[in-house]
Amino acid sequence: MRKTGFLYDDRYLLHDTGEVHPETSERLVCIYKGIKDSGLLSQLTLIKAHRPFLKWILKVHDKDYVNRFERACKDGSKTFESPDNPICRLSFKTAVLAVGGILKAVKLVMKRKIDNAFCAVRPPGHHAEPGKAMGFCFFNNIAIAANYLKIKWGVQRIGIVDFDVHHGNGTQKIFEDDPMVFFYSIHQHPSFAYPGTGREFEKGTGLGEGYTKNTPVLPGMGDETYKKFFMRDFFSAFTIFEPEVILISAGFDAHMDDEMSDMKLSTECFSWMMEKIIEIADKYANGRIISILEGGYCLKRLPELAREHVKLLLYS
Amino acid sequence: MLISKSMVDKVITIDKEANIFEAKQKMQEYNIRHIPVVDENNKLIGIVTDRDIRSVLPSILLNNINLEEEKKKISQFRIKDIMTKNPITLLPTHTIQDALLLIQKTKVGAFPVVDESGILTGIISVRDLLSAFISVLGIGEPGTLLGIAVEDKPGQMKKIVDAITEENISFGSIMVCKYGKKGERSVFPYLLTQNVATVKKKLEKMGYKILDPMEWYIEQLPQNK
Repeated sequence: MRKTGFLYDDRYLLHDTGEVHPETSERLVCIYKGIKDSGLLSQLTLIKAHRPFLKWILKVHDKDYVNRFERACKDGSKTFESPDNPICRLSFKTAVLAVGGILKAVKLVMKRKIDNAFCAVRPPGHHAEPGKAMGFCFFNNIAIAANYLKIKWGVQRIGIVDFDVHHGNGTQKIFEDDPMVFFYSIHQHPSFAYPGTGREFEKGTGLGEGYTKNTPVLPGMGDETYKKFFMRDFFSAFTIFEPEVILISAGFDAHMDDEMSDMKLSTECFSWMMEKIIEIADKYANGRIISILEGGYCLKRLPELAREHVKLLLYS
Repeated sequence: MLISKSMVDKVITIDKEANIFEAKQKMQEYNIRHIPVVDENNKLIGIVTDRDIRSVLPSILLNNINLEEEKKKISQFRIKDIMTKNPITLLPTHTIQDALLLIQKTKVGAFPVVDESGILTGIISVRDLLSAFISVLGIGEPGTLLGIAVEDKPGQMKKIVDAITEENISFGSIMVCKYGKKGERSVFPYLLTQNVATVKKKLEKMGYKILDPMEWYIEQLPQNK
């Protein structure tokens, strides 16, 4: 059994998106419940939210953007920059605490206090660009974590796997010219899904060319297609890249019961992908994985998806 | 949707007395395939394409001929010897739609744009039209495409637009095309949001059929025969 960290804090429920928004605090309640009810909590190293140094957020996001976001929350605005991004007075604080919790999880992994971690945070992050909130995301949590690994811990090769059903445009944009961060994303084809990026020909730019890889999958496809493409693209690319640490943008919205996509994955397929990621992590990264929640909106399925995810981090 | 808004107005041109290698070099340098030929008053007299150039150059696969000598001979030819005289042109007041239909009809890759007196003012190529089309579709911006099958009768679009607007969702674009059965059309709104689950359910409740994305297609325009 491994030492697995589990980041959860009731304060992550405070980002209130209103009455009819899919990215609700209920999601986190379901995830926590799924893990608790299966008796896994006692096996996990619990991590709580934490206030980070603002400088880590500013390594990714423009100062002006961070100020705008903070002001919008303080002023009591209902949305930030798009009707997609509802906010409340506590959204900024929640987003900052999400980053802080994740950085704490990264630190514990790097200090070998834990082997890996699952960070159940809100709001999600992978759509957020340096100066732009998008698709329910404000701070790009995983990008901030990757920069922290690079700068604070001197990690030279960071592998990001994004299996959220929507392309992680923000993360891609932040690292597209960076050969130290390999960004891999598998998602519903951009002609049929938000945000409309993540085509196969997007492969990185400048020095980062070849360090971005996208696998768009046509709507309606299921486990078999995902498994085939995941082996072909993720497994081969990461075998060559040999990441020292793996970060996961864990979105569970490609599940067949999730209304936010047209993909038809079973819960088992998510576990299968995790097994493959863990295999790579064990081979090259001393098993070091920090998995960060992104999307996943089916409240009925989230408990089992989170439970299986954590089980694999613990026992595989 | 005027040509003048989408054309390239800083045009790379060439003199009719220039040699062929000069045109070849310009095409490589600026990554273009069409160069209008103008006189000293910038009046259009012809156009030279990369195909014109390639057709007069020796094959690089033929290594038994003396390439340098061949090149020397070819360099004596002038642009006026290979250019297309009196090419098809457009006016700045023509529209993008004119250009699209003209390309379909003539299979030409680019049109010089001239004013009433024949002075060159721009050039519009398939590439520029593609950019314009991408902008019209709105797909440069983040959003989600929906496909809705509707009965081909007036008033459908209003209901759909109203239903989506009520959800506080902005439109990137909206396309309407013929679809499947006779008497049916499909509407493709490109919505600037990630959150389409609610609006999909709402439209279904209103009796519309949400199309299976794998079955989407746009009927081809009637072919000119």
